[in-house]
Amino acid sequence: MKLLRGSISWVYALLVFGFILLPVASLVVFSFQATNLPLPPFTGPSLRWYEALFADSGMVEALRNSLVVGVVSAFFSTLLGFLSAYGLARYRPDGARVIRAALMTPLGVSYLVIGFGLAITANELALGRSLVLVTLGHIIINLPLAFAILLSQMRDEDETLEKAARDLGANEWVVITRIAIPVLLPGLLAAFLLSFTLSWDEFIIAFFLADFDVTLPIEIWSQLRTGLDAKTNAAGTLVFAISVVALTLAYVLNRAVQQRSRRQ
Amino acid sequence: MHKTRITVSMATLSAAALLLASCAGGTDAEPSSSSQSASTDAAQELNALVWCDHTDPALLAPFEEANNVTVNVRDYEGTGVALGILEQSQPGDWDVFVIDSVDVPRVAEAGLLAELDKADFDFEQFFEEVRLPEIHELNGVLYAVPEKFGYNTVAFNGANVDAEKMRDLSFLWDPELAGKIAIYDYYIPVMEFVGLELGIEPQNITVDDLPAIEARLVELKAQAAQVGDVVSTQTALATGEVDVIVGGGEFSTSVLNAENPDLDWILPNQGGIRWQQAIGVLAGSEKQELATKFVQYIVSAEGQAALATSSCYWGMPANENAALTDEQKDILRWDEQAGFIANSYPYYIPDADLDAAMLDVWTRVIVG
Amino acid sequence: MRHQRSWQGWVLVGPALLVTLVLFAAPMVMVILTSLYRRNGGTTDRTLSLDNYVRLATDSTIHQALLNSLEVVGLTVFFSTLVAYPLAYIIAFRVPTQWQALVLLLTVVPFWTSYVVRSYSWLLVLAKNGVINQTLQGAGLIGDPITLANTRFATVLAFVHFFVMVSTLTIYASLRQIPRNLPLAARDLGASPWHVFTRITLPLSLPGVTVGAFLTFVLAIGDYITPQIVGGGNELLLPQLLMLQVSRRGDFPLAAAMALVLLVIVAAVYVVSAKNLTLERKR
Repeated sequence: MKLLRGSISWVYALLVFGFILLPVASLVVFSFQATNLPLPPFTGPSLRWYEALFADSGMVEALRNSLVVGVVSAFFSTLLGFLSAYGLARYRPDGARVIRAALMTPLGVSYLVIGFGLAITANELALGRSLVLVTLGHIIINLPLAFAILLSQMRDEDETLEKAARDLGANEWVVITRIAIPVLLPGLLAAFLLSFTLSWDEFIIAFFLADFDVTLPIEIWSQLRTGLDAKTNAAGTLVFAISVVALTLAYVLNRAVQQRSRRQ
Repeated sequence: MHKTRITVSMATLSAAALLLASCAGGTDAEPSSSSQSASTDAAQELNALVWCDHTDPALLAPFEEANNVTVNVRDYEGTGVALGILEQSQPGDWDVFVIDSVDVPRVAEAGLLAELDKADFDFEQFFEEVRLPEIHELNGVLYAVPEKFGYNTVAFNGANVDAEKMRDLSFLWDPELAGKIAIYDYYIPVMEFVGLELGIEPQNITVDDLPAIEARLVELKAQAAQVGDVVSTQTALATGEVDVIVGGGEFSTSVLNAENPDLDWILPNQGGIRWQQAIGVLAGSEKQELATKFVQYIVSAEGQAALATSSCYWGMPANENAALTDEQKDILRWDEQAGFIANSYPYYIPDADLDAAMLDVWTRVIVG
Repeated sequence: MRHQRSWQGWVLVGPALLVTLVLFAAPMVMVILTSLYRRNGGTTDRTLSLDNYVRLATDSTIHQALLNSLEVVGLTVFFSTLVAYPLAYIIAFRVPTQWQALVLLLTVVPFWTSYVVRSYSWLLVLAKNGVINQTLQGAGLIGDPITLANTRFATVLAFVHFFVMVSTLTIYASLRQIPRNLPLAARDLGASPWHVFTRITLPLSLPGVTVGAFLTFVLAIGDYITPQIVGGGNELLLPQLLMLQVSRRGDFPLAAAMALVLLVIVAAVYVVSAKNLTLERKR
């Protein structure tokens, strides 16, 4: 019985992962298409679309812009989220409930509306569209998430640790940087990674707020709207490859750090 | 110690983030740097609001190199969209405007277009039927120059659909084509095309005709697998998802001709709608001289050849002397143009009220 | 002492509150204000009026788009949760602890491939001569290709594809917070595995389910890309109608009014599910 339950689990998991990977697999396979259309039959393998991709300065620029916007907005979302979660959990200011509600409200508003709102506001202020606006837009959508994640990670037991440090004479800065942050590291990384992922993939806010310096989703959208070929497949695959490499690196480094500290 | 290492790595991460932030700040501090090649001080920028056929690097590169300019393009799907973009922009944001010829009068009247010097352009080189001074000029002043034209009619896959049957517009509603049609998402030509099937000529359409057109349109939508823009309808035809594009034409099929010569288009007996694009300079532009130079390039023999065979969609060049190869002229059906022009109607742009009413009908039909 | 600590708390929270005020509250006020303007021919008439709201209440096109949205999103939430729950359960309880983080990351990484390209890939996978049809035809299961792309089915499928990942994460987080000894204690006391699931695991994982469902609802109902790419323009959802107002008509006031409709719907859903909308461990 247990064996059967076990195999049902594995079959189910495999099916779901298959479903998740299906469009991605199609994307990757047809990035090596030799002819124009990314459709069966597969006429590859050919690297022509990757060559075209790297020759396309628009795509390369957009990729760089997406990375920068992603890292910067994730950083500030995580920082602001951390400060407010810490302030709320450890200091319990009056009106904590109101503060929490206020910070979480953007979560309940569709990106379309947030982007639209920022666009008409920028227009009223005669502020030109730019990547800065896009970054700001991404900060506001990720801040509530970072805040929520970090708040949920702050546990009472850790507060004891901090109190002990204070009793021993440590000032606030030390308490935060030497104790709170290290303990919270998994949460901080989760918040940062999630914020980055959501910014990286984000289209509609960027669409409303960018001008000619665009992010990758916008560039891909533009290219898909002006021509049908497998170059965008190559772009998507490259992005995927970079993510996998980065993730593997992070995982390997993390294990190395853990092993090193275990040996100490 | 374990925690020290983590603290250090956190600090490194923060430092890296701040470093990148200053990178982003540096990039955005010069809002005009948009391409890696435009790094010299002399490089200027020109911002153009265009149909997607102007985004082809093959079209822009010769002009950019010759003048040390970067041409930033933003494409749109319909004049309404373009006007919305202009409204949302500050003066000086845009320099060049590509617009349907029939929309030039109202845009010129609204003061959006800059006056052009007729001496800068040789109208003798243009096909006679597209010169249309009554549209491109206002009070004798030139505001836009014709650049490209084509037809909104039916495009189809000759391997799956009988070309002869396509000569009758009514065949579109035949059960044989159920689920095999894509409708091009541009309300004016398609609604006027449907009007032709009902025997109404575009210039005679009134609000009273709309209910009949809407009913026929609903029936057409029931036949359709999808409603889409230039590229998605092209894709659908190319992939076999559909066999006919209503409102399509050479602009749908010519670009795909190399891969699939079965893709074709035709003007039915009832006629088709003729589209025409013009290009002008915006009144608010701060680079009028450079913008005018760009316009001249677009209507030159070299520019016209590139524009006619642009990657988004092909079309007939306004300039008869466009430097096209014989093969390209064949695909565009160069020699048959006289007959096509005779059998087609230019877009009829209704007044603002009729326009709004038509868009309402269209939206209602699409929302489902 | 308490007062001082409260003040320090406010200082720490201050920056985030300021950012929220400037980047969120102010734009929302702008949206409300704009919805009270009117679009007149080519310009915006700034005299306040409720015309747009009257239009919202009476225009059947808008009602239809709203209905389409609610139906599509409802289906999405339902199927995403249904598919995600067992997966989250498997990861939380069947996968060895040290591998769980990795498996979760593997669930997320495919979504680092750009939403736009992925949606487009779905369109091609579902096409008449795409992978699915060709496989089904090759296996002899169907004769002619079936229409999968450019339909509501395609939109829901593409949505579910993404939101299964979101719900898996939130449900997993909830499941992991269930104290290990609870199910064990229940088993010791003679409860069947099914009982343990329905009486302990499921209720305690409800916050994760609710958060996942809520996130799915909010993200899906405002989504423009997926229906635009895979829906084929056969039916329009509210975001598409909104973008149509923005792009084709330049009617920002009406678009703003529609945006507020979206806001109100989500707020209503939030109020209904508020109690369960937290992943915090209940003390």
